[in-house]
Amino acid sequence: MSEPELNPILHGEVQQASLLGYTAGFLLTLVLLGAALLLTEFHPMPSIYLLGSISGLAMIALFCQTFLSFGLDITRHNIWKSVSLVLTIPLFILTIGLTAWMFQQLAINTMIPGANIMPGMTMQPTMLQ
Amino acid sequence: MFVHLQGPYSFLFGRLTLAAIPYNNAIIQFAFVFAAIAALLVVAPVLYYRKIPYLFREWLTTVDHKKIGVMYIIVGLVMMFRGFFDGLMIRTQQVMADGPHSAGHLEAAHGYLPPSHFDQIYSSHGTIMIIFAATPILTGLGNIIVPLQIGARDMAFPTMNAISLWLTTVGAALIMASLFIGDFSTAGWVGLIPLTELDFSPSAGVDYWMWAIQISSVGTTLNAINVIATIITMRAPGMRWDRLPIFTWTTLSTSIIGLTSFPILGVALALLGADRYLGTHFYTAGLGGNLMLYTNLFWIWGHPEVYFLVLPAFGILSEVVPVFAEKPLFGYITMVAATFAIAGVSWLVWLHHFFTMGAGPKVNSFFSVATMAVGIPTGVKVFNWLFTLYRGRITFDTPMLWAAGALFLLLAGGLTGMMLAIPAINYMVHNSVFVVAHFHCMVLVIVYAIFAAVIFWFPKVFGFKLDERSGKWFFWCFTLGTLLVFTAMFGLGFMGETRRLDYLYDTDWFPALEIEEIGIGFYSLSCLLFGWMLFVSIRDRAKLKPVNDPWGKARTLEWLTRSPVPFYNFAVTPHVNTRDELTFRYLNHLSTEPDHFEAIHMPRNTPIPIIIGALAFGFGFGITWRIWWMTGLSLLGIIAVVIYRSFARDTGYHLSAEVMSQLEHEPPLGVIAESQFLSKRPLGGAGAH
Amino acid sequence: MTTQTLEPGKPPELWHYGAEAHDVIAAKTLGFWLYMLSDALIFAGIFAAYGVLDHSMNTAGGPGEAQIVHPIAAFWQTIAVLTSVFAYSVATVALKHNYRQLVVLGILAAMLFGAIFLALEMLDFADLFAHGATPQVSGFLSAYFLLIATHGLHMAFGMLWLFVMLIQVIRFGLTTPVVAQLLNLRLFWQFQAAIWVCVYVFVYLKGAI
Repeated sequence: MSEPELNPILHGEVQQASLLGYTAGFLLTLVLLGAALLLTEFHPMPSIYLLGSISGLAMIALFCQTFLSFGLDITRHNIWKSVSLVLTIPLFILTIGLTAWMFQQLAINTMIPGANIMPGMTMQPTMLQ
Repeated sequence: MFVHLQGPYSFLFGRLTLAAIPYNNAIIQFAFVFAAIAALLVVAPVLYYRKIPYLFREWLTTVDHKKIGVMYIIVGLVMMFRGFFDGLMIRTQQVMADGPHSAGHLEAAHGYLPPSHFDQIYSSHGTIMIIFAATPILTGLGNIIVPLQIGARDMAFPTMNAISLWLTTVGAALIMASLFIGDFSTAGWVGLIPLTELDFSPSAGVDYWMWAIQISSVGTTLNAINVIATIITMRAPGMRWDRLPIFTWTTLSTSIIGLTSFPILGVALALLGADRYLGTHFYTAGLGGNLMLYTNLFWIWGHPEVYFLVLPAFGILSEVVPVFAEKPLFGYITMVAATFAIAGVSWLVWLHHFFTMGAGPKVNSFFSVATMAVGIPTGVKVFNWLFTLYRGRITFDTPMLWAAGALFLLLAGGLTGMMLAIPAINYMVHNSVFVVAHFHCMVLVIVYAIFAAVIFWFPKVFGFKLDERSGKWFFWCFTLGTLLVFTAMFGLGFMGETRRLDYLYDTDWFPALEIEEIGIGFYSLSCLLFGWMLFVSIRDRAKLKPVNDPWGKARTLEWLTRSPVPFYNFAVTPHVNTRDELTFRYLNHLSTEPDHFEAIHMPRNTPIPIIIGALAFGFGFGITWRIWWMTGLSLLGIIAVVIYRSFARDTGYHLSAEVMSQLEHEPPLGVIAESQFLSKRPLGGAGAH
Repeated sequence: MTTQTLEPGKPPELWHYGAEAHDVIAAKTLGFWLYMLSDALIFAGIFAAYGVLDHSMNTAGGPGEAQIVHPIAAFWQTIAVLTSVFAYSVATVALKHNYRQLVVLGILAAMLFGAIFLALEMLDFADLFAHGATPQVSGFLSAYFLLIATHGLHMAFGMLWLFVMLIQVIRFGLTTPVVAQLLNLRLFWQFQAAIWVCVYVFVYLKGAI
């Protein structure tokens, strides 16, 4: 469905590739995730703050990937990708966030009091250790 | 293997045995005879007039968005009839089974349907009407109209468009197969958990339901991608965002909803599938499952889904009302803003389907307020339509009758919806037929808009108008049925009748049930009137000379094409100057036909989509009955065909300027002109067929 | 802005002649991007399910999060997938400069590291199964395996696609359909890395806290 004379290599989306951007995205993601791993292994702060920190590191890594690796910006070639991503991210957050809130409330209302609802913060002996 | 299957199992046929065919059931026997006669009535003329090659060449392998849209609508209307028949059976059972002294017939203790059969009927009624009747018809309408309204020659991905059609058809085919081979789900259209788990529904019924929805959901998601990409990238020059017709805007926002919400349905059903096929514990009552997770995931899809259905209906109303009031639509910008506000807020309200599940007042309040908030943009739309009508020159042609009916139903359904949005009221009427009456009012808004659209755009697609007189008879009969059935149903809801009852214990309900039965009788009569309207219109079609604008008052770009629309839509892409382009050209006496032509490029027909459809049916049927070799081969086949298609080099052809000139000056080549004739043979004395 | 009157002296343009201005590559990548967004929502649904099912009441006496996640082993998987994506990025840059051989090499390298990722994941699964931690044991394990396996299945399909593109680049060269597919594959492959970031942090690291 295209004109055979136009060279696809010259298309804006092909030409926007940047080795510098891709390398930076790769290295930054690796470093950020490595930092999150180190934090988890060495556990230097209370669990709730640790969870917040690694979530923050993950968010930064995702941002790096969006701008450096995906190369999203508001140029003519990318604007609709950027717009659609920005409009979809809230749905991602709503689906997971409202579900989590709802089920936390459900657990309070319907589960037997005293049951261990959030076990992530405790250590339990099990068969795998 | 992972799960304990009841019943026989063999490698060759999976769970399928001859015992799965319910040949003893009188009702199924009747259904079979009816279906066989209907099939014969369709197939016999095709064979007699030797139309198989034509069908294969022009319809089954087409990638033309108009033909695909017509086929979508045909599938939808056929399934709507089946769904209506299910509804007729439900109503009849309930009126016959009221009170402990009601008589039992056939195999039933009361009425004529035993409980498990009755359960299958209301499950299929809901599933069919929402997913296999309303969705395909609205998708089909969007398919036909949107490219025309934006001045494009086809959708962005024509082959994928055809694949979407066949996947939806395969889903419908699985539901029809469940009628004669095996049984259907008894757990309602929502798939009430834990009834849908293998322990409680050991037969293949739930699997039919699950895979029919999953396969057609893939088609719907692909269609959403297609529509969004088309509207963004393929608008004609000058068709700026603030000149887009409202139907295109609503189709865009619908597709955004579809794109983002259908994946969650896929997850909800996939997890159920994992429970039923792999023995996992996502939703089981023991071993760490969470039943409420299903309800949550289902309704995260389920609420945006109803807006997915109603927004195109609103778009249709926004097209029909201005034309038959001969006034531009009031409040274009607020209309568009309201459309996207509805789409956005629809993502925040899903818990109102299960206020009573126990999330507590904090959560309930949030969702309640959000639900009430979505009424505001809807109200904006209603007022905009009313202000469009005010001081317009209103003519009550049939489409306008349907549109006016839709507005009244929107009022009733919307207000009862606002009542239901309040948890205090909701706790009283949850799971009663008050809810059923509410959502049927909303669904009927969609149905009324569908009939308005079909009648409005029929001459554009087929070149002749539908008969007005019989059309009006159809409208009034249908409306009478609606009033009788659903007014009574609201009353029954307040009297305490709960949903999904095959036996009704309270004889005080009998008068209202009788009224509903009379109403369904009017609905049945209206089916016949619909058929009569089609018959009369086709019989008398030669009386109408095809013109671009059969209503004489059209406003938007799609009416710039000839009627019936030639396969290439516009011979020359129009340049758009304003919002209601056709009215602009009429008022200023500008040309509506180009004077010279140039070569155009068209996509070529291909059998790939229908092959994928056939393989998808093999997959769906195989996995329902656990015939693993059929499932595996079909899946591999689909992957292989897709890879094969990706190697395709020559997927289109050119039509030169001389050919275009010849096509434009010849009389229309019949119903949606035959396109592939031209792609294969050189022109020059080709003539009409 | 609806029915406007003509401006005097400025005849309106009514028909558009000239080249069929339809950018195929832009349409295809936008369409594919939209598909990726729907894919992101599939993962949102699965993450939501995981969020609901990763509590002690869902472990049915079996292992919980802390017992089955191995963050350090999973970091090797992280390195594998990120390197695979980076290799494909190099192929994309090669595409920009029309170096066909380097495109082929990039695809091959991406396949190699993708295979390493999948092998590491399957070894991890085998180890868990050997210890009796299968999806059928509890709701939590069902959710865990589903999340990881869905990502793994996407990776496997990506490997197939890489292989098909390898053949197409060798056979057809860098034509418009092939270039469009390569761009789409780039979006797909990069997306797998992005999802892996979420999986790694919110399953492996969160579970080990």
